[in-house]
Amino acid sequence: MILLQKIFVLTCFYLLLGLGLSIPSVTLAEDYSFNLDEFEKKSFSWGGYAELKWDHNWINRNGAFGLLGFYDKPRSDLDRLTSTVQLDGNYNKGMVDFNWLLQASVQKEQVESEQTLDIFSAYASIKPVPAVTFDLGKKTFKWGKGYAWNPVGFIDRPKDPNNPEDVLEGYIGVGVDLIKSLPGGLQTLALTGVVLPVWDNINDDFGEKNHINLAAKLYFLYRDTDIDLIFFTGDSRSTRYGIDISRNLATNFEIHAEVAYIPEQKIRVLNGLGVLENHEITATSYLLGLRYLTKSDITTILEFYHNDAGYSETEMDHFYQLVSAANTQYNSTGDASLFNQATIISKSGYAKPQVGRNYIYTKVTQKEPFDLLYFTPGVTAILNLDDESYSLSPETVYTGFTNWELRLRYSYIDGGRFTEHGEKLNGSRLELRCRYYF
Amino acid sequence: MLVKIYSSPLKVLFFFTLSIIAYLTLITPGQASTLDGTAILLQVDKNLSPESYEMYRKLINIEPDGTKKEFVLYSVKKGQNKMVALFLSPASEKGRSTLRLNDNMWLYIPNVGKPIRITSLQSVVGGVFNNSDILRLDYSAEYDVASITEEGDFYLLDLKAKSKTIAYDTLKMSVDKKALVPTTIECFASSGMLIKTLYYKEPKDFGNGIIRPSVLETDSPLYKGYKSAMIYAKINQKELADEVFSLNYLSRVDELR
Repeated sequence: MILLQKIFVLTCFYLLLGLGLSIPSVTLAEDYSFNLDEFEKKSFSWGGYAELKWDHNWINRNGAFGLLGFYDKPRSDLDRLTSTVQLDGNYNKGMVDFNWLLQASVQKEQVESEQTLDIFSAYASIKPVPAVTFDLGKKTFKWGKGYAWNPVGFIDRPKDPNNPEDVLEGYIGVGVDLIKSLPGGLQTLALTGVVLPVWDNINDDFGEKNHINLAAKLYFLYRDTDIDLIFFTGDSRSTRYGIDISRNLATNFEIHAEVAYIPEQKIRVLNGLGVLENHEITATSYLLGLRYLTKSDITTILEFYHNDAGYSETEMDHFYQLVSAANTQYNSTGDASLFNQATIISKSGYAKPQVGRNYIYTKVTQKEPFDLLYFTPGVTAILNLDDESYSLSPETVYTGFTNWELRLRYSYIDGGRFTEHGEKLNGSRLELRCRYYF
Repeated sequence: MLVKIYSSPLKVLFFFTLSIIAYLTLITPGQASTLDGTAILLQVDKNLSPESYEMYRKLINIEPDGTKKEFVLYSVKKGQNKMVALFLSPASEKGRSTLRLNDNMWLYIPNVGKPIRITSLQSVVGGVFNNSDILRLDYSAEYDVASITEEGDFYLLDLKAKSKTIAYDTLKMSVDKKALVPTTIECFASSGMLIKTLYYKEPKDFGNGIIRPSVLETDSPLYKGYKSAMIYAKINQKELADEVFSLNYLSRVDELR
C-alpha cells in the first residue's frame, strides 16, 4: 500500500506540473488539417482519469452525525485530501469484447486514512449480431430516467444526488440484450434480462444470500416516447415492478418520470423506545422530472421524488433523540454504550443520504455567462419537503485546458434541530476537484 | 422521307408532344420557371451523403481570442432519420455517443452509464454547433421547400420546417447550380431572428462518386466572435443494421469502426 501511495503522490505531482504546462495556445490562422491515422481502431483501448480532491468540512458539532463521529474527540473542522485514478479499458477479439473499469483511491484526512481499490465493472460481451448481446461478469446497469434518484433502479446501487454522474459499482451476473427496430409508431423494442446470483463473495451486499434473482427491462420507443417496463423477482430482495418514461416536448424541454411498486418492502425502523423494528409495507415510490434550456443557455433540472419506503419525520426524530440521549449520557457519565447502539442503528439506513420521504432536487447551470469562456457556474439545491431542511451547493466548473476539469463547490447544509439536513455531519463544505482525463 | 412523315397530321402531333416531353425532361437547371425545389433538395441530400454511410469528422470551436477546442467524431447514418455519433477525442469526451431518431436525441456518457434525452438546441460540445447540427438529418427529411429562385450560379431555396420540434423554423439555402450542394445556409427561428449561418467550403472527392464540401463553418450573431467548423475526412458507404440506432447499442458504437 505504501507503493500505491507513492504512485499517487507522483501522479498528483505530474498533474500539477502538467497543469502549468497546458496553457492553451493562441492560434490565429485556421488550421483544418485532420490526420485520421491516430484515430485508427485498435483491438485494445484504454483511458480514464486521475483526480485530486481537497475538501474542507465545517463539522456540525451539535448535529446527530457530528456527535456520532466525534463525540470522543470533538473538532470543528476536517480537511481531507483524496487522490483517485480511474482506468477503463476494452479488448476486442472478434465477436467478443472484454470491458473493465477500475478505481483506486487514497484518502487522507486529519483523523484517519483510507485506501481502496475497486473493480466497478469487468465483463465479457458476446455479440453474434448487432441485435443480440450476451454479457457475463460484473456490470453496472443504471436503469431509470431520473437524474438524481432512480426508484426503478432495482439492480443498481443508490446514486449520490450530490454527484449523480459519478460511476457506480456494478453487480455480477449473466445478461442478454435483444433489440428490434421496427417501422411505424413503435420504432424500437428491446429486452434486457439479467440473472443475478447472491452467494458468499458474489453480490453478497445485494440481499439475502444463496438465491438466484432475475431482473428484466422491456424498452419501447413508441411515438417518440421512451418507455421501460421493469421487473425484478428473487428471494434476495422482494419482487418489484417499475415503469419509466421520457419524452421531449420541445426542442429545449424534456420530461421524465418513474414509478416503482414494491408489494412487500421490508424496512427497519427505530421505535420510540430506541429499538429497531422490522416492518413490511407496500411501497409505491415515484419521481417526476424535467430538463429545460433557456435561450441564454441556462439548463434547469428539476425533480420531485417520493420515497414510500423512506423514514417519516417521526421515525427520523426517534433516531436524532437517541443520539441526543447518547450525548447526554456520555457527557454526564462517560458511558458511550448509547452512542455505540446509535452507530449500529445508523448503519441500518439512517446514515444514508436522502432517507426521508419527499424531496425536491434542482440543478441550474449556465454555460459561459458574461463571456467567461469555459466557465459553467451552477447551483444545486436538495430540499426535504417534510422537515424543510436543505442543502444548497453553488459551484463552478472550468474546462479551458484540454482534458482538464476544475470544479470548485461550496455546500451549505441546514434546516434546524432534528431535521435531516440540520443533523448532518457537515454544516458546510468547500471542495476543490482537479481531474485530468487521459 | 421527312416530308412523308410530316405529311400525316397525327404524326406531326405525335412528334410535337414528344418534343414537349423531351424539353420538360431534359430541361437545364437554370430555367427557373419550371424548377422543382423538392427534387433539387433531394439531390442536395444525395450529394452530401450516401443513403447509409460511416464518416469521420473533426469539430473545431474557435473562441474570439483564437483559442481552439477540437473534437473528433465517428458517425454512422442510415436512411433519412437515423444517426449516431461517437466521440473519439479528446480524452475527456472519449466514449460519449449521441443518437438521433427523427427528432429524438439521446446522449450516452460512459461514466453516467445510461442514455439521457437531450434536446436539439443544446450542444454537447459547446461552441456554435448545436446537437441538431452535429446529428444533422437529411434536409428534405426536416424541411419542405416553400419557394425557389435563381441568382447567378445559385439556386436560392426557402425551406420551412415540417414540425415545431425542428431546431430551426426556416432555412435560406444557397445551392451551387453545377455541383448541387449547398454553399451557405441561414438558419432562422420562428420569430424571424437569424440564429446562425452555415458555410459549406472546400469541395473534395471522397471516392465512390462522393464529391462534396469537406469543411462546414458556422458563425452566429448570438455568439459574436465565435466560430465553429466541421472538417470531413472520410465518408464511406456502409451497410448498417437498424438495431445499431437504438439506446441499447449506444455504449457499443465503437464496434462499428
